[in-house]
Order: sequence, then structure tokens, then C-alpha cells
Amino acid sequence: MKKMRIVFILAATVILGTVSCKKSYLDTAPTDQVTEQTILNTTANAQIALNGIHRIIWRQYFQQSQAGEGSMMIMIDNMGEDLLNNASSSGAFYNGIYRWEAHRNADNLDLYFAYFLYYRLISNANMLINNIDKAAGPDAEKRQIKGEALCYRAWCHFNLVQLFAKRYDAAAKPNTQPGVPLMVANTTEGLPRASVEDVYTQINKDLDDAIANLTGYNRSYKSHFNVNVAKGIKARVALTQQNWALAATLAAEARTGFPLMDNTAYLSGFSDATNSEWMWGSIIPNDQGTFFYSFFAFMASNYSANATRTNPRSINSNLYNAISATDVRKQLWSPAGVTPPANGTKFPYTSVKFKVKDPNFSVGDVVYMRSAEMYLIEAEAKARLNQDAAAAAVLFTLANKRDPNYVLSTNTGAALINEIMTQRRIELWGEGFRFTDLKRTNSALDRTGANHNASIAVTLQVPAGDKRWEWLLPTDELNANPAAVQNPL
Amino acid sequence: MRKIVAFITCMLCITGIFAQRSITGKVTEENGSPVANASVAIKETGVGVFTNSEGSFTIRADDRAKTLVISFVDRATEEVSIGSRTEFAVTLRPQDKTMQEVVMVAYGTARKNALTNSVSQFGAKELENRPVTNLLSAITGIAPGVTTNSTNGQPGTSPAVRIRGFGSVNGSNSPLYVVDGVPYDYDIANINVDDIETVSVLKDAAAASLYGARAANGVIQITTKKGKKDRTQIQVNAAQGFMSRGIEEYNRVDAYQYYPLMWEAYRNSLVYPSAAGTAALPIDSANKIATGLMPRNGAGLQVYNGKTYSDISQLLGYNPFNVARTAIVGVDGTLNPNARLLYADDLDWLKDIQRNGTRSDYTVAVSGGSGKTDHYFSLGYVNEKGFVLNSDYKRYSARMNVNTQATNWLKTGLNLAGVFTKANQGANDGSGLGSTGLVNPFYSSRIIGPIYPVFAHDVNSGAYILDASGNRIYDIGSMANLGLPNRPSLTGRHAIYETRLNENILQRNVFSGRIYADINFTKDLKLTTNFSGDASNSLRSQFENKIVGDGAPSGRGARNTTNNFTMTFNQLLNYTRSFGEHTIDAMVGHENYDATYRTVTTQRTGQVIEGITELSNFTTTTNLTSAKDRYKIESYLSRLNYSFMNRYFLSGSFRRDGSSRFAPDTRWGNFWSVGAGWRVDQEKFIQGASWLSLLKIRSSYGLVGNDDLLDDNNLSIYYAYQSFYDLGNNNNTEAGAAQSTVAGNPDLGWEVNKQFDIAVEFGLLKSRINGQIEFFDRRSSNLLFRVPPPLSSGGLSFPQNIGTMYNRGVEISITGEVVRKRDFSWTVTGNWTTFRNRITKLPVKEIPSTASSTQKWEVGHSRYDFWVRDYYGVDPIDGAVLYRAKAWMPATTKVLAKGDTVTTDQNNALLHYAGSSIPDFFGAIISSFNYKGFGLSFQLNYQVGGKVYDDNYATLMNASYGYALHTDISRRWKKAGDVTDVPRLDAGRNSQFNAVSDRWLVDASYLTVQNVTFSYNLPASVSSKAHLQNVRFYVTGENLYMFTKRQGLNPIQNFTGVTTNVYVPSRNITAGINMTL
Repeated sequence: MKKMRIVFILAATVILGTVSCKKSYLDTAPTDQVTEQTILNTTANAQIALNGIHRIIWRQYFQQSQAGEGSMMIMIDNMGEDLLNNASSSGAFYNGIYRWEAHRNADNLDLYFAYFLYYRLISNANMLINNIDKAAGPDAEKRQIKGEALCYRAWCHFNLVQLFAKRYDAAAKPNTQPGVPLMVANTTEGLPRASVEDVYTQINKDLDDAIANLTGYNRSYKSHFNVNVAKGIKARVALTQQNWALAATLAAEARTGFPLMDNTAYLSGFSDATNSEWMWGSIIPNDQGTFFYSFFAFMASNYSANATRTNPRSINSNLYNAISATDVRKQLWSPAGVTPPANGTKFPYTSVKFKVKDPNFSVGDVVYMRSAEMYLIEAEAKARLNQDAAAAAVLFTLANKRDPNYVLSTNTGAALINEIMTQRRIELWGEGFRFTDLKRTNSALDRTGANHNASIAVTLQVPAGDKRWEWLLPTDELNANPAAVQNPL
Repeated sequence: MRKIVAFITCMLCITGIFAQRSITGKVTEENGSPVANASVAIKETGVGVFTNSEGSFTIRADDRAKTLVISFVDRATEEVSIGSRTEFAVTLRPQDKTMQEVVMVAYGTARKNALTNSVSQFGAKELENRPVTNLLSAITGIAPGVTTNSTNGQPGTSPAVRIRGFGSVNGSNSPLYVVDGVPYDYDIANINVDDIETVSVLKDAAAASLYGARAANGVIQITTKKGKKDRTQIQVNAAQGFMSRGIEEYNRVDAYQYYPLMWEAYRNSLVYPSAAGTAALPIDSANKIATGLMPRNGAGLQVYNGKTYSDISQLLGYNPFNVARTAIVGVDGTLNPNARLLYADDLDWLKDIQRNGTRSDYTVAVSGGSGKTDHYFSLGYVNEKGFVLNSDYKRYSARMNVNTQATNWLKTGLNLAGVFTKANQGANDGSGLGSTGLVNPFYSSRIIGPIYPVFAHDVNSGAYILDASGNRIYDIGSMANLGLPNRPSLTGRHAIYETRLNENILQRNVFSGRIYADINFTKDLKLTTNFSGDASNSLRSQFENKIVGDGAPSGRGARNTTNNFTMTFNQLLNYTRSFGEHTIDAMVGHENYDATYRTVTTQRTGQVIEGITELSNFTTTTNLTSAKDRYKIESYLSRLNYSFMNRYFLSGSFRRDGSSRFAPDTRWGNFWSVGAGWRVDQEKFIQGASWLSLLKIRSSYGLVGNDDLLDDNNLSIYYAYQSFYDLGNNNNTEAGAAQSTVAGNPDLGWEVNKQFDIAVEFGLLKSRINGQIEFFDRRSSNLLFRVPPPLSSGGLSFPQNIGTMYNRGVEISITGEVVRKRDFSWTVTGNWTTFRNRITKLPVKEIPSTASSTQKWEVGHSRYDFWVRDYYGVDPIDGAVLYRAKAWMPATTKVLAKGDTVTTDQNNALLHYAGSSIPDFFGAIISSFNYKGFGLSFQLNYQVGGKVYDDNYATLMNASYGYALHTDISRRWKKAGDVTDVPRLDAGRNSQFNAVSDRWLVDASYLTVQNVTFSYNLPASVSSKAHLQNVRFYVTGENLYMFTKRQGLNPIQNFTGVTTNVYVPSRNITAGINMTL
């Protein structure tokens, strides 16, 4: 029995030795994530969260038409009359948008993406805006982080309200029509749609705060915001709110320090953020590319993707014909079509505006704001303020840069506004402005008389003020947020 | 099994030196033939011998010897009182299986008749006819209450298993797998089916509660084979078979039918324009435009009323006929009678990569034992070649199981298994997420329009275009360089070509080791400690070529590895004691579970040298990440079984588990169970009834837990109680992190499954009829939910414990020996299960559904109730689809004569519940005939009721340029007044007409001929001449035919009831031989 006792003691030791695990035995943590607390603890870590927003503005989302803001730019222009698709396949990306069908189908994934993308950026921005004051670190950094995050929040709400609500009408203040849920703090409780007026009020407040916070901040890369970009966004907002004077002032201030590019640079492919007039854009290296999701996988003439081979985008032939022969921009398109990537099909009026840096990669920097736009904002705003001479002068600076034979416009009134808008369509083709320009100016969509194929475009005309100018709210928002009300069907 | 256990137990008894004498005897069958190799033992001393070939034995007995125990495979064990006799004649009778079986239960074994809970057990015998690589492929139908799906026919893949309904919503519904006593987290395909001795399905909470932490969805216990003492044998199993497509393709229209149909779809889109405010074209003009007869502009487009239009051949791209592009379809919508296909032989997309699949399966096992040690060694080899190119699976497996009684108080053993698999998954989607990957040949070949050839053809002559070496060129649908038009569907893609060029190989090495020690302190008190480690390492090598597909234009390579290690260490103290008629069996224990999962994922682009796919041969790294997850559980467990007079049984268990998946305050859960059994047939008042051989009533109640919250891709979420930022969101050169889309919830805790079970087990007419009827009620509470928050919150899910749900049902299984003759037997087994699943409580009225889902969770409905648009029918006036309307909208709603308000706008359609994917009942019929050495058996699986959302069919009813159409399109609306259920063909109205609705639901009933086997056992007289103990030949067919409501439909593809385009399951016909040396 002595032996048994030894065995028993041994065994008991084994049991006790293992039974009494350390209390921390069950504490585990992932290795590729950090907790919210850690990231918001210091300004140094918060910079990492801010850079995360600068990244998720271009990451791959749910399908190939969804690489962040670059994809939104294609959608916005595809819904206008100036950027047209050449292939009929219903499965081809953006065709539902081009036909004006996708944004009116509440189950559609592109519509879902547009809504989700901006709210996701807002949610990330709110984390910083609402917590950065508690973080350890220098005040200057806190102001910079908060300022950049505020820019995102304002810009995202601005994009959302333009798409999902009826346009802002300065003649009908306050604009009580339903806007979008206004998210200034993160919550999983569904919020009702704030009025368009309230949304714009918050946007302007955020931008004012951003401008205050970013004044004096020198950014390292153009993927960040600085005071110029904040003012540029505010100029866009003012233009949309028909606040012409403010738009003109801010646009002029915003473009300071961003001289217009020369005509060599103009033909170099719109994929390099070092360009002097780029104010804001994503700087994307090859190892962070988005493959066939990329903006350039649809828009670049020198990159071989299904879209660029079989459905290269064309310019509206009427718009092309409106470009003067000596204008450098005339070289961006060809009535016969530009040479497509190998095995590609040539279509009339295709473009070489966008080119990737290396044809092996669908990668390039994506431009979100250029000083040329600021000239156009200022010119348009002044023209609408009936300051025709001043407007013509601002327009001249830009137009003459592109076309040495351009002479100062003698147009006045509507004709001048028209000329400025035409310049705007030419200058900003493919950069995501046309649908919202039509909507803010309460114009009709008219694709007739040009090279749109009715079999592919399906929708050729939409009257101003039609309910189809409002994107439907995605089904998933309506289901999870009983406070949200759908736009008129 | 039981005899061996009894025998070993006997051997363990300590022998002393006592007066010895010799006892002799003969063991025979009922018919008088001698029984060789029967075990004969003295119960009191444990001394044992085997009978010789004449059935005779001689055994030495001392004066303690009182009882002789004689046992043999499949025969009832006889106990004979020795007294003073020295000469015995023993007749063995067939075993009454239900009475005697030993069943594997949690942390041990139990006699089936003493069991108080629900366990279905089957073993090597039931599996020997099934030519499967994965045990789980054979499990459906054998055990009542168990269902599996057959998602994927890719060789080597595992089906998902559900036991007694669905216990969770966003948590895992998968049972816990326990291999040789220890939870096993890896693919069951890693286990050679020939190595399996028994499989126990622990169905109720009481049975499973000792695995409390993760047993909410039941437990499947797999026990591998062991050597049998003093019976050395070599077993050889060899099988060779063929694999072919198990389910036919959907019926689709051919090229001749297709062109006029798409012409009509285009024409109708002009006559009924989808864009509001667009003027409808007169039908004559629309006909002309569709055919292509209007004047053209410089770009080759027709001009009509100032607008430009394509003709149908421009929209479809290809003209496969020998007539002009504008002469294919006339203005009357019919095909040109002179049209003949230019390349009719080249339109079958799967033909090019389909092949005759084969399957080889070989196992050699050596087992035996001598003295105090037994052993089992096996080597297995499986090679499956799927019926589609680049889909195959090779598995090499080895197992060693050695047990030894080291000293009279210590028994120890080691069970080691190593598996090496290599699977070529080139024909699979690869992503594992969806089935609409364009490299998936099943998807591509199904949906591509029937006018598009596999290879490039000259547009005029239709001749194959050849490359410089004279080979055919795959037509990727975007080959302007060859003068070909662009294909509107699958443009620039070619699933067949890509499958040939790409590489997608999964290699996996798995090592499992289990070691244990049984220490007997006293006769009654035993300590067992088990230590186990499972390591599973895998490497997925992927290459996407630079010519066509996602890898183009520069080529893309990936090497993704996983490195997983799971450790379980437990210590169990057992106490067993009998006091007169009372028997107590108690156990307390402690267990640690510790899992580490590591992944490294890589991807590089820019292939340098052709033909080399290693990462160093690429220029640019596009993905390089790694991660490590830990998952730990600590558990304290206990059990008490009590029986009185072998007639009344009580059992209870308690367990406390802590899981690393929850916050410190919520991570501990208590789980317990109680059970009772009553052997009514042992009561005096009934013992006289000769027709009744067994009557047992048992019942149990218990609580088990579930901590396995899953994400959208069914991957475990390990840290849902914390909110995180995802690293790796770098912005150019600057480090970045972004908010995770899953919000953390510090209050998250265990989902608890409370299960009540009551059953009657019976045996009638000398056990010729055995059966059981069982009722269960599983109630899941604190359900793990990933609630979708509003999109405007910027997140995608918020984990919560909310709601309760039950699964309530009845299982019946009856086995009858219709004929029990010496040379002929016929048995029939039928089982039938029905259950009802209901959500009974939610804090909110409903869990929001998502646009991509066809189901919604709401109180009073099941986990799998369809929530879809209410399809009303087709408007006889214009052939438009009508849905019941949600609200009145001026332009798109109308009130019909019957008073129903209907809409043509899918955004305004009323959604409603439209049935469930859960069937009314399901089960199997299994029968076997044996005549002398011949055997014939079959198994039919069935399901009645339930619905399937046939998404594949919906896709084929979509009139989209370049995509295939189902033949049901022939029923479409054509002209005003047509009354039909298929709307007009209209290329502009797919999102309206073909929205998710109950139009796509179809009855899920099926009947499958799951298995038919014919076998022949060589008579012992013949086999013994070749020095073989047993030789068996067989031919077997698996998954032979499935009867369903629609050709092409696989109603058991997914539990959600939504069909996808995955690899079609295969039919398998195998011939094999089993030999025992």
C-alpha cells in the first residue's frame, strides 16, 4: 500500500499543478488588430487611425465597381451625359448606373456601397473627433487630427446629401426636405433623416472648425487635408447651396499655392499627385493596388482590363466638338477612338486622359481636387453674381492655360454661365462632377443628339426635378433603421 | 467490443497462487458447428484462452474460479457456473444487439441498456459498404435526427452536419467532433474511414453535457480501431471506382432557340421602355431595329427618330450562323429557316474539361495483441480524381494505436495518426465564399449563352482559328485582334482555359497524438489523464496566369499557410462501486483546451519567367499579412451514474467552463444535466411476456453551451467582446489602422441550449423488431446574434445575446429482421425525423434582414423561413410581373378586378413569409439481404416538404444579353391576353421582373438512392485454403440518383435552402475487396 500512496501523491500533484491555471489563462488577444482604447490613447496612435481613413477611402469594397471614392467618381459621371459606356452587357460594372436603374433599385449593391462608404468614413472620423481631446499628445497634433477628421465628416455628409436627398434650393430656405441621418457621434441606434438644411448647417460648421484647426498645418502628403482643401470643400458646398459670393471667395483662397499644370503635364495621364495643381488625392503605391476594382481598371487607356478592352469610356461627341482645335484637351479624345490595350476594341470618342504609371499595374494616384476646379467655381459663382467681367477673367486664366489661342470671353449672362459650364464639363471629365452639377443647377439630363446608344444607355432624358434625381436609400438601412424613410418611389 | 473490454478487465485482476485444476470443453453454434477463436475466461481470476479450430478449449482454474465466461463476435456472451464440473459444452446464440451493446459516451463508455440519454451509434460494419473518403458523407440516414448538406462535389470536401435542427442563428450550428476522446477541430476528411471502429452521435444535452462548453449542437464521437488481444490479423481493403456527375444540368435552350428569344427580349425592351418618360417604339419599328433593318450611321448603329440603336446581333456580339447578321431573326421574331450553326460541335463548355473521374482507396491494417499489450497499425491511400479537370484529392494516412498494461496499477497507450493530403482545387471557386466566381467552370458553363464557342472561330467560315503551332485558341470573349466580337457575358474570361492555366493546390499535413494513463489506486478508484495534440498545417499555392482572368496582365501568385495546434489536457478521477444491487459510477475532472491558429497570407504580382509560380518569380508584393489567434477553454467537470437492480438508472453531470471568447466577467458558464432510465422489461409484472425482449423508458434534461459566434464567412469570431482597429490599412508609406466593422460587446456571453428528451426503446419477438421513439425539445436561449446595425452607423455587425428559439421534434427508428434463417436473412431499417424550429423571443420585433438575404428572423418563425416578395403573377395585358403592393404609388400600382392591389415596382413589393427550407420530415430506409455469402443492401434517403430558393434557376430565367436561358422560358407571355406564370421576355426589366420573390421557391422534397451494394463473402472453407480468414468482394454505388422537383436542382445544397453554382456532387461506383489474413 505504500506504493499506492506514492502514486496517489504523484497523481494529486499532477492534478493540482494543472487545475490551478493562472487567472490570465483565458485572456487572449488578436495579433492583427489593436483595441480602440490603444489607438485613441495617444495622438501618435490616433495618427495611425487617421491614416486608416486616408486608406479606406480607396480600398476594395464589395465588388469591382467599388474601390472607394474613385468608383464614386465614375458613377457620378456615368449618370451624366458626358461619360458614356460602349458595351451592352448588363453584367458589366456601372452599366446599371449608366442606365439610371441601379440607383433606383433599393437592393442594388452599388447604391448600398455609396451609402456605406461615406458612413464608414464618418464613423472612423467620429472616433477621432469625439475622443482626440482625451488623448495624450501635443495640442497641435490634436488640432490637426481633429481638423482632418472634420473634413472627412463634412465631405461625406455633403456627398450623401447630394445623392440621397432633394437638392438644396437657396430660394426655399429652410430646406426642410429629408436629408440623410446626421452622424456626429457613433451609435448603432438608427437616426432619422435630418433635414437638408440641418445637414448643410452641420457640414458648414464642421468645415469652419476644420479650417480653424488646420490653419498653419503643413501636411506631408496630398492624401491628407490642409486648410486649402478644407476651403475647397467649403467652396463646393457653397456653390451647391447657391451661396455664390462665399463660393467665389473660398475657391480663390483655396487654390493659393497650387498653380495650374502645363500642357505637357496635362497629357501625362492624371495619375501623379506631384502635379502642381493637385490639391487632394490618394497616393497609391503598387503594393496597395486594388486590382480590377481600381479607377484605372475602368478609365485608363494603357491598362488592360476587361472594361478598358471591351467597354472603354467615351466622351459625349457634342462636348468633344465644343472643344477648340488648339486646346490641349482636344488631344485627350479621338473621334475615331484611341488605341485600346492589346486585344481591345476601338470605340469612337474614347479617351487617353487617364493612364496608369506602369501598364502592369492598375495603379495610379486618384485626384479628388484640383485648382482648376477652384477657378471654375470662382468663375461660375461670379458669373451667377452677374460679375461677368470678373468671371470671364478668372475663366481666362484657366482656359488660356489649356488653349493658348483662347481669348477673353465677351459672353455675358446666361451665355457666359453656359461657357463656364462647358469648360467645367471638359476640364473635369471623368473626375466625378457631372451628375451632381446637373442636380445642383436643377438641370435636365439630355443625352440625345450625341453618340449615346439608346440600346445601351436606355435612359436618354430625365427632366429636372424628376424623383429619379434622388438615389433610393438602401434596403439594409431601411430594415435596420425604422426611423429612416425611403425617397418617393 | 464488450467481450474485449470484459476480457481485459479480467486480465487485470491480480492473480495469486492458488490450487490449480484443468477445465476442458467445446463451444458450438446452435447448429452444432464448432466455434474457433472464441474467448473462454474465468471470471474471478481473469485467466483466459481461445478455442481451437474444433471449438475445444482447456483452461486452468484455481479454487477461486466460479464462473466461466465464453464470448465470441456477434454472439451473446455465456456465463456458466463452474461448480465442481471439469467438462463443458457451451452453445453460443446470436447476440441480442440492443441489450448488449457498449456505447461510447462522453469521457468513457456505457452499456446501452443502462444509458439514460440519446446516443446513436454505428461502426465499421455500417461503413464498409460506403465508398467515401470522408465519414461525414456517409452519415446522413444512418442516424435519425442527423442531416448533412452536400454543398460541394470537390473531392475531399466535408459536408456540414446538423443534429436535431438548428440551435443557433449566427453562432455555429456544427456539432463538436471528438476523436478518440478529445475534441477535434480539423477536417474529418483527415480520418481514414477504414480506421474507424465506432461513431457515436450524442444527440441530447444529457449525453453531450460533459462536453458542455461546445456541445450545444451535439457531439459526434469517433473512436478509431484498436488491436484485439491474441488475435493477430492483417486486414487489406482495396477499392477502385469511377466518379461522374451526380446531378444533371438544368434544362437550357439551345442556340437555335436562343437567338429569337433574345431578339424578343430586346424588341420588348423597346416597345415597353423601362425609363419613365421614354416614348415606346411602335412594334413594327422595334421589330426592324431588333433585326437590324434600319439605316445606319458611320459607327454602324441604326438611326431611328434621331436616336441610335444596336441590332440584336450587335448586342449578343456573336453570329454563330451561316447567314448575315441582319438575317438571323426575321421581323416576325422567328429564326431564319436557312440558319445553320457554324460550330455546333464547340458549344458544350464543360465537355472540354470533363473527364471520367476515378477513385482508389487502399488500406492495410495490422492489429493484434499479446501479453499485456495490444496494437493497431494502418496505412491508407486515397486518390480521388473528380469528374472535372484539376479537381483531385490524394490522401496518405497512417495510424498507430498501442495500449499496454505497464504494471498492475498503470495502463497507458498512445494513438498517433499522420495524414498528408494534396488537393487540386483548380475547378473550384477557390474563394470558398460564393459560387459566382468566373473561374468556376460549373457557374460559367451554366450561365454562358448557348451561342458562344469554347474556341475561337473565324467569324465567316466558322473554322477553328489556329495559333502558330496549329493549336486551337480559347475564345476569351475579348479578342478583337482575331477579328472577333466581344462577348457580352463573361467578357475576357474563360473558366475552362483559366482552370487549365491556373494553379490552386491545397496541401495539408495533420498529426494527431493522444496519450493517456489509467492509474488504479484501488479496485474502485481510477485516475485517467489524457493528453492530446493535433497539429494541422496547410499550404495553399495559387497562381493566376497573365493571359486571362484576375491574374492578367502580369500574373499573380499566392502562398497561404495555416499553422494550427490544438492541445487538450485532462485529468479524470473515476470511482465505481457496487453495493449489493446498487452501482455507483462517479467522475470528477478538469480539462484545459488551448488552440493556436496562425496564418500567413501572401500575394505577389508581375510574373518574371514563364512557368515558375514561386513567389520569388514575381516583382511586386501586393499582400503580406500574418495573424495569430488563440482560443482557450478551461473546464471543471463531474458526473454521477447510479443504477439499482440493473433496472433503474439515474445520472447527473455538472460542468463549469470558461471561454476566452468572452470578457472576464461573462466567460464562465455552468452546464448540467440529469437523466433517468427504467428497464420496464425487468419488472416482475412484465417479465413473463415472451414477446417483449426490451422495454426501456428514458428521459433527460440538460444545459449545454455555445461560444462560437461566426462572421459572414462562417469563420469564428474570437474576441467579440472588444472593439478593434484593423491593422494593415496603411496609407502609402504611413502606418494606418481602420475601425473594424464588427462592434465589440463586453456583455457578450454563452449561448445556452436546454434540452429535454424522452424516449421509449423496445425489442419485440426475441428482438426481431427493435426500435425507439424519441421526443426532443431543444431550447436555445441567449442566442448569439450578429445584429446588423443601420448602415449609417458605419458598421456591419453588432454581436449580442438575444432571443430564444426551440427545435422540437420526434425521431422514430425501427429495425426489423423480416427473415432470420440460417442461410438467409433480410433486415429493414426505417427512420423518420420531424422537427419544428421556432424563434420564440426577441427583444425587438424582428432582426433586420438584409437585401442579400432571402430570410428574416422574427418571433413565431423559424430560423430558415423565407422572407421574400409576394409574387402575384403575370399581367395578361402586357406580360409584366406583378407583386402584391406595399403602398399605393400612382404610376406603378393598380387594383385588379379581384380587389388585389399589385405593383410592377419591386421596390414597392410587399414582402411576406413564404415557407421554410426546413422539411416536414426526413429520414432513410436501409435494407439488406444476405443469402449464404451473398449480400445485397441499399439505402434510400428522403425528405418531404420544405422549400428551396432556386437562385440558379432564377438566373436562367433572366433575359440578359449573352446569358443562358432555361427552357421554361417557352411558357413566357407573348401577346395580350396570354395567361401564364412566366413574364414577357424583356432585357430592360430584369431587376423588376426577376427580383427576389417567392416565384423562385420550389418544393425541396427529394428521394436519393444513396447507396446500393452487392457483396460476396468467400466461404470459410475456400478462404482458409488460401490461409485467409475472410474474403469479401463487393460492388457499390454511392449517390446513384436523386429524384427532385426540377432537373439540376440540388435541394440539400445548403441549409438556408438557397442554391448556388458549386461543384456538382458526384456519383460514385466502386468495386472492392476486403481480406483478412
